[in-house]
Amino acid sequence: MKYKILVFFIVGFFIYLIDIGLNSYDEKKIYISDQEILSLVAAWKSQVGRNPNDDEITRIINNLVEEEILYREALSLGLDKEDRIIKRRLAQKISFLKQESISEAPSYEDLVNYYKTNKEKYFIDSTYTFMHYFFSADNDSENRSYKGYENLIIDLTIESDPFFLGKTFVDLSLREIENNFGNNFSRNFENVELNSWLGPFESAFGHHIIYVRNVKEGAYPNINQIIQQIEVDFLLNQKDAALENYLNEIRSEYKIYINPDLQI
Amino acid sequence: MKYIKNALLIILGLYIFVLGFVFIDVGDFRPLVSLFKNIQSDSALKVVDFSIDKPIDEKPKPAPNLDRNPYFGDLHVHTKYSFDAYVFGVTASPDDAYRYAKGEGIKHPLGYEMKLREPLDFYSVTDHGFYMGMIQAYADTSTKISKNDFAKPFHNINRLDNLTVESAGQRSNIFSSVLAGTVTQPYPDWHPKIIKAYLTRNTQAALKSFDYDVHKSAWADVARSANEHNDPGHFTTFIGYEFTTSTNIEGGNLHRNVIFESSKASVRPWTRIDSINPEDLWTWQDRLREKGIDTIAMPHNSNGSNGQMFEMETFYGNAITPEYSEKRMRNEPIVEITQVKGTSDTHPLLSPDDEWADFEIMDVRVGSRPPTFSKPSGSYVREAYLNGLTMEFTRQGNPYKFGLIGSSDTHTGGGAFEESNYWSKVGLLDGDPENRGSVPLAEENVERLKEYMRAFNQPLSTVNLDQGEYSNTGFTQWGASGLAAVWAEENTRESIFNAFRRKETFATTGSRIAVRFFAGYDLSSIGLNSESLVQEAYKKGVTMGSDLLQSKDSIPEFIVWAQKDKNGAPLQRVQIIKGWIDSNSGRPKEKVFDVVCSDGLQPDPISKRCPDNGAKVNINDCSISNNVGSTELKAIWKDPEFVHMDKSFYYVRVLENPTCRWSTWDAIKSGYKPREDLHETIQERAWSSPIWYIPEPTDVDVIPLGGTLELRDLN
Repeated sequence: MKYKILVFFIVGFFIYLIDIGLNSYDEKKIYISDQEILSLVAAWKSQVGRNPNDDEITRIINNLVEEEILYREALSLGLDKEDRIIKRRLAQKISFLKQESISEAPSYEDLVNYYKTNKEKYFIDSTYTFMHYFFSADNDSENRSYKGYENLIIDLTIESDPFFLGKTFVDLSLREIENNFGNNFSRNFENVELNSWLGPFESAFGHHIIYVRNVKEGAYPNINQIIQQIEVDFLLNQKDAALENYLNEIRSEYKIYINPDLQI
Repeated sequence: MKYIKNALLIILGLYIFVLGFVFIDVGDFRPLVSLFKNIQSDSALKVVDFSIDKPIDEKPKPAPNLDRNPYFGDLHVHTKYSFDAYVFGVTASPDDAYRYAKGEGIKHPLGYEMKLREPLDFYSVTDHGFYMGMIQAYADTSTKISKNDFAKPFHNINRLDNLTVESAGQRSNIFSSVLAGTVTQPYPDWHPKIIKAYLTRNTQAALKSFDYDVHKSAWADVARSANEHNDPGHFTTFIGYEFTTSTNIEGGNLHRNVIFESSKASVRPWTRIDSINPEDLWTWQDRLREKGIDTIAMPHNSNGSNGQMFEMETFYGNAITPEYSEKRMRNEPIVEITQVKGTSDTHPLLSPDDEWADFEIMDVRVGSRPPTFSKPSGSYVREAYLNGLTMEFTRQGNPYKFGLIGSSDTHTGGGAFEESNYWSKVGLLDGDPENRGSVPLAEENVERLKEYMRAFNQPLSTVNLDQGEYSNTGFTQWGASGLAAVWAEENTRESIFNAFRRKETFATTGSRIAVRFFAGYDLSSIGLNSESLVQEAYKKGVTMGSDLLQSKDSIPEFIVWAQKDKNGAPLQRVQIIKGWIDSNSGRPKEKVFDVVCSDGLQPDPISKRCPDNGAKVNINDCSISNNVGSTELKAIWKDPEFVHMDKSFYYVRVLENPTCRWSTWDAIKSGYKPREDLHETIQERAWSSPIWYIPEPTDVDVIPLGGTLELRDLN
């Protein structure tokens, strides 16, 4: 009985030795395909304009071999472990995989619900129609604009400068006003008084006296008008959600430790 | 039996005849089918409407402005679908790129955020047409095509240890080998796939490494994304791609971007695999236009073309004919004058009297390895304008009567337009200051860089300077540029595309300088300070991109009006650059006139130069002098040296006060001094499209002796 157990262990030991032997044998073997060499030679040729000679071919192959050896040694030393770029790339790969895995068409209810929870995204901004008098910063805009404003109130005459982008602006959102004038000019339009001369306000180019004729208040669009857009957004959102769900599922398996005393 | 023998002989004879035909064709080593010109790629003429069924948008749209608004955009953007962007570690999709243009932040391959200070008005993702989407498919080991041998090197680039800034060398090498055609091997001429390629009229199908379905789906995604992000009145997109061709022998860069007018486009892009000759591209465009699909092509990086972008002859070395000139101008009305890889206005060797000619010069051929000098003549815009006039003089037509835009050519999905926030363009290769050469290399990086660059044919890859050893792989010649700008009634595809066609465009180096430019005979009757200046100038004159015809003895007048970037440095001066053919000598000439100076200063009547306005840059912190320079500059100008019979062109150059160059910003942020062999400062600038002055035809226009051109009656 004891003898049988011994045989069992001896056989097991031999299998173990053979296994180690085979594996280590495999690990130290580098296969280089013809194709790999030929493509390197072709690349070499395309740059130098002739075929490499024997020495050069040897060097090309040696480089390839050395690179492979270094790569494997680096892996066995675990050099890939703490590399942020490698980490990021792998994280990206799995994110893509997780994001690709859904493809069902959403129902109308899904879209309505999505619209309700993301209404802010579809808000149509208020727009403003206005004209202005401009005083160029190159020509004492501050003093001239204040004097101009006084004259304007008294007798409706004013001497101003032409503005590069014109005198009248129709239906611009606050963002568009900001793009055209700069220097936080658009904040002068929040709760603006209609049909009266206001200012002077400073832009990136000088001072302006403005007269707002019309405001179209912002509103939420009817869902049916933007249903296609919502569907596109819904699907994109699903992709992100798939990744997030996956993360949430898996996150609970991890414990995270951060030094609470770290000074930054 | 006899008949069979004869039939075989005839077939053999035909085969030899066709082969002979193949070898006669000038240096074209692509498969047999490509020689059947114009029919071989009919498959690229199929039109698809890529529009999504977006209902009429209820969003209010600003009213069109008849005096036109300036809109700024970028028409040269690469994403992961470009074979090289993928090699550079870029994973941004066209959707990411459009989101970036609208003002959202997206990730650089090195992990930091790229974000615009101010959103852009229009944008086009223009991935390399040839092999679009293919490299991505090779590298993704789950695809069928990646199992092939030719896809193996691309598996390698995804190997973990290669996704680092240190893999620059290998990445550059793969880039070059794709361009040089080592992965684009065709099947042998007898192969059934060749016959299939012929029958389906798709040259690309003759390549071993090509998968049409992968290619088409990448293109469809580019088009879908463009259409989805198009928002009339607020943000305009164009379906586009890059026709990435070059000459076979010298590697002269002949790259062009192609954009489509509407949501309709061809089923696949016409690429260098269809033909490396840009003239065939124009034929394809012409044929698409017959089907109601308008496109324009925009050449770029003429600076790296070794003189071949703006040659005095055709691709195969024939004389340029009026038909050629018309065809070229019909299909490529605008040219990209500035981008990351340098500025192509002019070169100091071509314009020795222009003090501002030495500006962001990139003097090597695009993609050359080792870097090889690019011949200036034939590579720069101003000389092309002059040569165009010369060819008009010899009755060949003017093939170089184009307008100007700038764009970025970013390969990360988002362009870097600010000197103080710069990430260059090729992702992992130049995304940090050490690798782009603006700060010295850390000791451990010197040997590594040298070793990689030695392996890839660039033995001299570093340079020893005062502060240490710097990377010197060519990225120092690149810069934070540029933008395309148009004058259009509203921000819609139709309005902006029409502006391209009118050439009512200007280019900037990333700054949002805007410039108006008019010419006419009665412009001085308009008050410079009149509120209706623009409206009247449109009525009484012509604007940038147009012709001004001779009007008896009248002398033309020009109105120029420039406004600074609201977030940029003040303006220093506005110049008008004149080029003309001197009728007495027949020689092309050029001259730069300062026409209006900042701070009320006056140009010197003899030197035509503005006095120094005293603007300074503090190189220790990049601050600039306050209260020097102007927010806008405006003038009416008459050419003091005008000659009625000289064919001429005039374009505007607006200069900002000097500011720090990106390389200086990089150095300061890392605690170094700026590298001594680079320009410390830069003058951001804008160029308008020219106005051409057309004298009445005279006997001065001659056919040169020995000319082989057909005589044409100008009337």
